[in-house]
Amino acid sequence: MISVRQLSKTLGSQRVLCGVDLEIATGETCVVLGRSGSGKSVLLKHLIGLFQPTSGEVWVEGEEITHLPERKLGGIRKKIGMLFQSGALFDSMNVEENLAFPLREAGVKNEREIRERVAEALEMVDLAGEQKKMPEKLSGGMRKRVGLARTIVGRPACILYDEPTTGLDPIASDSINHLIRRLQKRLSVTSVVVTHDMKTAFTTADQVAFLHEGRIYFHGTVDALRAAQDAVLTDFIEGRSGDVS
Amino acid sequence: MVTALGRIALSLIQYLGELALLAYETVVSMVVAPIRWRLFARQIVEVGWRSQLVVIVTGMFTGAVLTAQTYFQFASLGMKSATGSVVAVALFRELGPTLTGLMVAGRVGAAVAAEIGTMKVTEQIDALRSLAVHPVDYLVVPRILALVISMPLLVAESVGLGIVASYFVGVHLLDISGPFFLGNLYRYVGPRDIKMALCKAFCFGVVIAFVSCHQGLNAKEGAVGVGRAPTEAVVISSLTILILNFFLTFLLNMLFPYGS
Repeated sequence: MISVRQLSKTLGSQRVLCGVDLEIATGETCVVLGRSGSGKSVLLKHLIGLFQPTSGEVWVEGEEITHLPERKLGGIRKKIGMLFQSGALFDSMNVEENLAFPLREAGVKNEREIRERVAEALEMVDLAGEQKKMPEKLSGGMRKRVGLARTIVGRPACILYDEPTTGLDPIASDSINHLIRRLQKRLSVTSVVVTHDMKTAFTTADQVAFLHEGRIYFHGTVDALRAAQDAVLTDFIEGRSGDVS
Repeated sequence: MVTALGRIALSLIQYLGELALLAYETVVSMVVAPIRWRLFARQIVEVGWRSQLVVIVTGMFTGAVLTAQTYFQFASLGMKSATGSVVAVALFRELGPTLTGLMVAGRVGAAVAAEIGTMKVTEQIDALRSLAVHPVDYLVVPRILALVISMPLLVAESVGLGIVASYFVGVHLLDISGPFFLGNLYRYVGPRDIKMALCKAFCFGVVIAFVSCHQGLNAKEGAVGVGRAPTEAVVISSLTILILNFFLTFLLNMLFPYGS
């Protein structure tokens, strides 16, 4: 469904991505791992056209989106939903209005249908009945759930998760991981999860891509990653910095 | 020295280029995308209704102070009755549009840059884009329309209240004859002055709108970045209004010559 070919991106004077190649099949969940600042979120934002690459190509469902102007990306963006690191809820709207927003933008006029779809999406993320709350009244975990509900309410074919568990306590993280897994089964969507949380990777991934020094250093199954003997991978999996105290 | 000047010139050209691109995107948006009337109405309330206090106070006290100062100078020359017309012409041509522009830049420009800047750094603008909504359609066009429509109305209100305050101070607090005040006002203030005021108001509205939206859309990450966006929006808008006012004065006097 998504194909990234020789993708490079320079931000300011820093070369963040240097020739990334990645294939993500339809219905598959690919977890992109890497250290903080390794360019994972930058790579993810290229998949929905939020960034334009310095060089290389991004293909979504057989269409090259690399240099499409902003107004022509609308079609692709209706097929791909994105959960942002902070949830990125519109703070001038309550939960219901946040979820209704993509539906109204897609031209759904029937208010009853909107209410029903909002309630269904909130139920999927275990937040039934929270329609009238404002974003500032929600905890970090709830914001991510509402962000996820807003992502799935438009029924996308693919969901991109940007650090879905960052900043959450272990229980909330576990809950989000299982929610991602449940949504994959229930909606059969293609998913790309960017994280540095190994538990998220082991819980949700079909395939794992490890981003290191701007390139895909490893791409394979979770079992292959667990069995890897490479020092870069094992240090990351086991959280070894090499520093001594 | 030369290098520094070159760097300043390059950043000025880059800034003007970015503003021109934003203006182009705005025009394209108005042509190809439906205008969001609900957001526009909300911005009219923000810009027009919520600026009432600053516009009323600015207009009335400028008119009152200018009347008192003009009266004290003119009284010694025996020209007291000309006070009203001098104040009115000054309000229409210069003080009304400029002071209202500066006040609106401070109140509305800062709010626009802060709101859009916060949305930028909290990824709300990226969220809009990911939901297939162009930020210019959703954030910029309603604010630009609201500002270019509200500014002439706010300037008209400010000048009108300034003249009312001038009449009150001149006729009731000082000893100018009411009929002479009004007679000279009708005699020396014409459609030309009103056209100049409205043209300047429109141009200042455009300046505040584009500068503030641009600063918000280009806000840098972090508290410093978000804090800097409204400050720079106010400083750049205010300086541009003052400089542009000088050139507009020449241009409008050519466009609307005496007697028109």
